[in-house]
Amino acid sequence: MKEIKTSGNKYGMVIDLDKCTGCGTCMVACASENNVTVRADESDKERSIAWMQLYRINNGEKFPKTQTGFFPRPCMQCDEDGNGGHHSPCVSVCVSTATKLDQNTGIVSQIYTRCIGCRYCQAACPYHARYFNWWDGYSYFKPFPDGLERSLSPEVSPRMRGVVEKCSFCHHRLMRAKDAAYAQGRRELEEGEYITACAEACPVQAITFGDLNNPGHKVSELIKSPYAFRLLEKLNTKPKVYYLSSKEWIRRMADNYLPGEQVKGVKL
Amino acid sequence: MDPKDKKITERLGINRRNFIMLAVGGAIGTALSPLPWKLTDDIAIWTQNLPWVPVPATGEFSYAKSVCTLCPGGCGIKVRKVDDRAVKIEGRTDFPVNPGGICPLGMGGLQLLYNEKIRFTSPMKRVGARGTGAFQTITWDEALDTLAERISGLRDKGNIGTLAAIDGNHSGSTMPVIIERFLKTLGSPNYMRMQTSQDTCETAAYILTGTRGNVGYDLENADYILSFGSGLLEGWGSPGRVLNAWGLWKSGDLRDSVHIVQVEPRASNTASRADSWVPVKPGTEAALALGIAHVIIKDNLYNSDFVEKYSFGFDDFKSADGVDHKGFKTLVLEKYPPEKVEEITGLDAGDIRILARDFANASAPLAVCGRGKGALYGSLYESTAVLALNALVGGINRKGGIFINEPLSVAGLPVLEPDISAKTALDKGRIDRAGSSFFPFSQSLFNNLAESVLKENESPVDTLLVFSANPLFTIPDAGDFRKALDKIPFIASFSPYRDETSMVADLILPDHNYLEKIDDIASPAGLQYNLYGLSAQVVKPLYDTKNSGDAVIELAKKIGGPAENAFPWTEYEQVLKARVEGLYEIQSGLTSYDGSSPPWQRSGSIVSPSYSDFDRMWEEIKENGLWYQQPYTSRDIEKTFKTQSGKFEFFSSLIASSLNGIDTGALGIKASGDEICIPHFEDASLKADDSFPLRMYPYELINLSSGWIPNPPYLNKTLLDDQLKKDQSFVDINPDTAEQLGIKHGDMIFIESPQGRIQALVNIFEGAMPGIVFMPLGFGHSAYDDFLRGKGSNPNEIIFGGKDPLSGQTVWWDTPVRVIKA
Amino acid sequence: MDSALIPEGATRCSAGRFFLWTLPWLGLLAWGGLSAVLCFVLGLNQTNMSNIFAFALWIVFDLAVIALGAGAFFTGFLTYIIGRKELKNIINAAVIIGFICYSGAMGMLGIDIGQPIRGWFIFWHANIHSMLVEVSFCITCYLVVLSIEYLPIILENRGLQKIKELKLFGHNLHHIMALFAATGTFLSFFHQGSLGGMFGVMYARPFAAREGFFIWPWTFFLFILSAIAAGPCFTILCTKLTEALSRKKLVPDNAIQLLARISGWLLGSYLILKIADTIGWIYGIVPRAGQTFMDFYREGPYGIWLLVCEIFVFGVIPAIMLLTPGIRKNTKWLILASIMNCTGIVLNRFMFIVVTLAIPVMPFDRFWSYLPTWQEWGIGFAVIGYGFLVFSLSYRYLPLFPKERELNHTIN
Ligand SMILES: Nc1nc2c(c(=O)[nH]1)N[C@H]1C(S)=C(S)[C@@H](COP(=O)(O)OP(=O)(O)OC[C@H]3O[C@@H](n4cnc5c(=O)[nH]c(N)nc54)[C@H](O)[C@@H]3O)O[C@H]1N2
Ligand SMILES: Nc1nc2c(c(=O)[nH]1)N[C@H]1C(S)=C(S)[C@@H](COP(=O)(O)OP(=O)(O)OC[C@H]3O[C@@H](n4cnc5c(=O)[nH]c(N)nc54)[C@H](O)[C@@H]3O)O[C@H]1N2
Ligand code: SF4
Ligand code: SF4
Ligand code: SF4
Ligand code: SF4
Ligand code: SF4
Ligand SMILES: [Mo]
Repeated sequence: MKEIKTSGNKYGMVIDLDKCTGCGTCMVACASENNVTVRADESDKERSIAWMQLYRINNGEKFPKTQTGFFPRPCMQCDEDGNGGHHSPCVSVCVSTATKLDQNTGIVSQIYTRCIGCRYCQAACPYHARYFNWWDGYSYFKPFPDGLERSLSPEVSPRMRGVVEKCSFCHHRLMRAKDAAYAQGRRELEEGEYITACAEACPVQAITFGDLNNPGHKVSELIKSPYAFRLLEKLNTKPKVYYLSSKEWIRRMADNYLPGEQVKGVKL
Repeated sequence: MDPKDKKITERLGINRRNFIMLAVGGAIGTALSPLPWKLTDDIAIWTQNLPWVPVPATGEFSYAKSVCTLCPGGCGIKVRKVDDRAVKIEGRTDFPVNPGGICPLGMGGLQLLYNEKIRFTSPMKRVGARGTGAFQTITWDEALDTLAERISGLRDKGNIGTLAAIDGNHSGSTMPVIIERFLKTLGSPNYMRMQTSQDTCETAAYILTGTRGNVGYDLENADYILSFGSGLLEGWGSPGRVLNAWGLWKSGDLRDSVHIVQVEPRASNTASRADSWVPVKPGTEAALALGIAHVIIKDNLYNSDFVEKYSFGFDDFKSADGVDHKGFKTLVLEKYPPEKVEEITGLDAGDIRILARDFANASAPLAVCGRGKGALYGSLYESTAVLALNALVGGINRKGGIFINEPLSVAGLPVLEPDISAKTALDKGRIDRAGSSFFPFSQSLFNNLAESVLKENESPVDTLLVFSANPLFTIPDAGDFRKALDKIPFIASFSPYRDETSMVADLILPDHNYLEKIDDIASPAGLQYNLYGLSAQVVKPLYDTKNSGDAVIELAKKIGGPAENAFPWTEYEQVLKARVEGLYEIQSGLTSYDGSSPPWQRSGSIVSPSYSDFDRMWEEIKENGLWYQQPYTSRDIEKTFKTQSGKFEFFSSLIASSLNGIDTGALGIKASGDEICIPHFEDASLKADDSFPLRMYPYELINLSSGWIPNPPYLNKTLLDDQLKKDQSFVDINPDTAEQLGIKHGDMIFIESPQGRIQALVNIFEGAMPGIVFMPLGFGHSAYDDFLRGKGSNPNEIIFGGKDPLSGQTVWWDTPVRVIKA
Repeated sequence: MDSALIPEGATRCSAGRFFLWTLPWLGLLAWGGLSAVLCFVLGLNQTNMSNIFAFALWIVFDLAVIALGAGAFFTGFLTYIIGRKELKNIINAAVIIGFICYSGAMGMLGIDIGQPIRGWFIFWHANIHSMLVEVSFCITCYLVVLSIEYLPIILENRGLQKIKELKLFGHNLHHIMALFAATGTFLSFFHQGSLGGMFGVMYARPFAAREGFFIWPWTFFLFILSAIAAGPCFTILCTKLTEALSRKKLVPDNAIQLLARISGWLLGSYLILKIADTIGWIYGIVPRAGQTFMDFYREGPYGIWLLVCEIFVFGVIPAIMLLTPGIRKNTKWLILASIMNCTGIVLNRFMFIVVTLAIPVMPFDRFWSYLPTWQEWGIGFAVIGYGFLVFSLSYRYLPLFPKERELNHTIN
């Protein structure tokens, strides 16, 4: 399955699961970067919002062979099928064109002011990367106690009730980086000038971010690793988020395999 | 119908027919007019700008550099600001501790700054009954006067000894120094700091090396890390730094060459992500360490060079008085053959042998200890055993080993002789008897404090000052301490947060939030090189709060007399500066870091300082929040050992002399004779009891603050739904154990110890050692706001354990419990 | 009292009794009204929908009533396009049932979306690739058509007939009804199809995904077929219920039997294709997604039994019953067969909506289940109440059944 080459950049992410410690800093960084609302009961996982969601997995072995691992899950920024086929699962179904794939960035956008909250995109996304605002984030029924709203960033607009939101690859950081570059009369961004809040925050540097279209970028090198794989690759959603793991049981968790089927990546 | 009306209607020409015409026509007319379309559009736009959806004010973007002081980690942070508002915390790449990354707690810091519901916005005095949290706003003058008068009163009445302070500030930083100074000059010996595993390890180092300083672990250069329950991924040491090291271990060539072994009864994140997991029975870690030592000695794998040149008490010896003494070697060979250790720890003897050989054969093996986050004290003999294990492979003050560092050479404050009344008071000794001949190796013993307060009918503590601590929530003593607090007549809390302890206080003198104040971190926990971090005032204080440093100084001035003399400064920053002058004296060290050569690479020979004079240095430190030294400077192995023998003592002459003539049984020591002075295993766990057949082991999570700092709401997002569900936390239980107990996943159960019961939901977890129930620390708050209050249970409430031999602390890692279906 | 409005020569119960009869339905409407207000004011947190169950009870109701309402356009198609005159005796009822179903569905959708006030963005910022856009366009247009088809029936009310203009207007409408029937048929074929398409195109949801022809997944065609197979049976059920309640014969048997027979044939052919589609799916999409057929039915309440019920119990069996003249001609059996037929179709819609979302796609994700809140039930039942009300009123005041008089004459 060869990827379609988008005209400009194609931003992507590689998450090294051998490094990931499950600390959750990426989730907190994302929430705080993107004005994600928080409710008193965040244990209601069906309705809480987490653009970056941490899934804990378990090798199922009995004590003391048990091992756990983690899948940090941002939006996969699914791409269209290069073979003239379908579009990103969510983009193709959105009724009001509130979400779209930018050929120049490879990023799947979400414009809240456009979304009508029909949630068709949520049904279409197999990664549960899309979150609906079931409550008024800030209103009289606000989960934010007095004062907390003082930490809201003006770079990302707070969402209103009744719309869907999701990871934007910290799109405003791209805007920020571009502005800085333009100010210096540059059109192209250097590697590392635009990185996402989660990649920046990860204390073990498990997340690498860059332009998959640029062979010079570290991500382009990493995805060649025999350990590299993506979530649900078989569905041909063309995610731009890659994972690395030397452990086969973890790679097996990334996709559905028929009995006896060879798991993607080298066997240990 | 009345005929008159009929006429009228007809005259008006209103009959059913043209009325309908009119209505229909009108409707069609309106529909075709622009009106409905305009309205439709307008209200749609309204929904895009709902008035209650905030529009965060924009402005000038800037970054403020600082140092995070939420834990002893001392990470460099930069705070993104919009005008005066802080909107994001990020890690500093120009800071050696945590190049770029920080931990989830540090990342959530803004929610501690801005959440009004968990902060005190001004000084307060209690008006309602204790614990009801009914307070009344007062002025700082009134607050400080109230406290000053009370303390002066005690001093006049000659029972200043009933003044006590509990301090949660990090060891080595400036606050502990001035708080203790405040008490001492008045004449109270009762300064108590919350005890961490860092303290335990430092005491162990003191016992074996004679140096009371910082114990540093050269993680980045080690290639075999043997962790005795240390939560490397749960927030142990300086989390920002340890996680960064973890990243290095898993990168490039190191990926295959570095081996990480986790010794722990539960498949924690560390145990799961490590290269191998060694599940031992809680409290038997020392036995494992000595079992490994046994194999290493037997197979002659130990570092004979170090042992011969730099150690004492390895072999048997004859003391000056001509008495024969057993050495470490004999004892270990006698008592810890793998088969014996197998019985104690539940591990396989063969595995122990392999483990020992791998450890000894590694080029830079490193054994670390301190349970979980290391936020709670550990077992003292266990720490000595682990330290001895490092010594055995020569890993003391050697690349990739343990560094016994001199305390950071900050300047001491001018010494003041306490006056006569103070002296007499001081001589009465501490209420908790820590440091006395009974407990020579402990600095604070909260269990003793609680005990004596509860024992006597009038509380020996009259006035208690609480700084940066929430003992009510964090002390593992099944609530004895709470009962003690209830008896203490007057409690003053300096906490900025509405924590459990503040709620029972009589007077609140709220500190600034950590982003509002300048303060220092001297040597982040476990760092192998000297580093001094200085936090900056990132945002102007939001409320009527006061840096506790300044509060103490003002308090001293109000009390006057010796107290006033002891605090000649007008503000806290002057104290900080005065201490830093000591760093200037060294005439080495750097005040900035560019990431090119991490200190642990110690590429640098001694770098000449960038500053010409002290004031310049201070300015640079204030700007970068940083001073640090390359390791190895000022370190050579002879200077390190200040013991009687001038060597590393496998046989501690310090224990020998301190415990001379003491009833060691009272210290909970079961061993006798020479063994007492040698690292050994003591079974401190209470005898198995049929009515309490299981064991409860509290564990920690890096994404759940379990200490004094409240958990920021954003961290709740990271908790999984088998850790917290609605208002119930979970207890991890092995499937087989659960089956025997007849409980299944999701059941509500009571965990009951001789001290009480708490409830939790069952989480069936294969990674839990059979026979033990594992409960997370950090849940079960009764204070703060909806994000924290009433969520889950706090295991500290049912802790029940014997005393840790030698240290005299309560054993919190092994509580006998039973499980009852709720 | 209201006798002036009751159709010529038709006997109806007293106004008082009729009022009592409407009470339960008004009650349901009140319940639904309260629920709707709560959802508008407090938001959709009033439901048990979630980021997992983004679609739930309401969408099931929507798809169900739209499928069952298919009787309207299909009967219209047979009456006006094919020219089966006997169906003129039931077309009015069919149209009104259709109107009720579609307007009810639209109403529910209005509450279901998070930003109802922006609902028109679907048309203004339409994404032509989205099946849901196609659905919205067709349903809206078809509702207009249904209203136009409903209008002349209303104008036949005795009261309104007195106004010459309206009488004339209604009369002319009657003449062009064939045109609207054609339009309606066209629109309906498409939105019934795109409703199926909505799920077939979710290629990242192996349980729902289907291959297809050109831009249309097989579900597109299957939904059309199943709808026109069930629609007529639903129309039959409604008229039979009216007959039972009014203790009158309203529709001649030949009309009923014709619809029943056609239903039988359609249901039969639908099932053949549905079974073929399922087999194709089991050996195509499913293994390609790395899953086995049974993986989908491993967990939770939604087991394989659902599929068995859908295809055999409520599919093959009613098909055979409807195709067997002996059984079909026995009213009791006919009603049973119709009920089973409709149940099967509703079950089919339920599977595509709720089961699709309940089944995790990521191997490490968990299985989810869902129970509606009283607010969700409220909205759902309100549509039923609304249906009974509108149909009762229409029956009472409009000449729904042209043959009503003579049929009951012959009886007395
Ligand atoms: N119909 C409609 N049009 C709109 C708006 C609307 O509400 N409705 N909003 C207007 C407003 S307020 C805005 S902010 C602009 C923004 O929208 P624009 O910036 O004009 O267009 P985008 O395509 O969203 O942004 C360029 C690319 O950024 C990438 N991107 C990735 N993530 C995001 C993200 O989170 N947000 C955005 N916007 N882009 C992202 C996408 O690939 C996208 O194609 O659009 C304007 N146009
Ligand atoms: N995650 C994420 N981040 C994004 C985007 C995204 O789609 N997702 N979009 C990115 C892009 S492409 C852009 S261009 C920007 C656009 O981001 P914004 O400029 O925030 O655009 P909107 O999202 O439409 O939000 C507009 C907000 O402006 C407020 N507003 C409306 N009228 C007024 C007014 O008269 N005065 C003031 N002060 N406020 C008013 C409303 O509250 C509304 O919430 O956001 C960028 N950031
Ligand atoms: S921050 Fe890094 S290590 Fe922590 S969970 Fe996220 S990816 Fe894993
Ligand atoms: S992950 Fe989900 S939301 Fe993100 S692009 Fe893919 S389908 Fe869309
Ligand atoms: S919910 Fe919003 S984004 Fe998702 S499909 Fe509907 S309109 Fe598009
Ligand atoms: S890329 Fe940005 S938006 Fe996406 S998960 Fe990471 S931090 Fe959140
Ligand atoms: S590790 Fe400690 S110092 Fe570092 S960010 Fe976290 S809380 Fe702050
Ligand atoms: Mo914009």
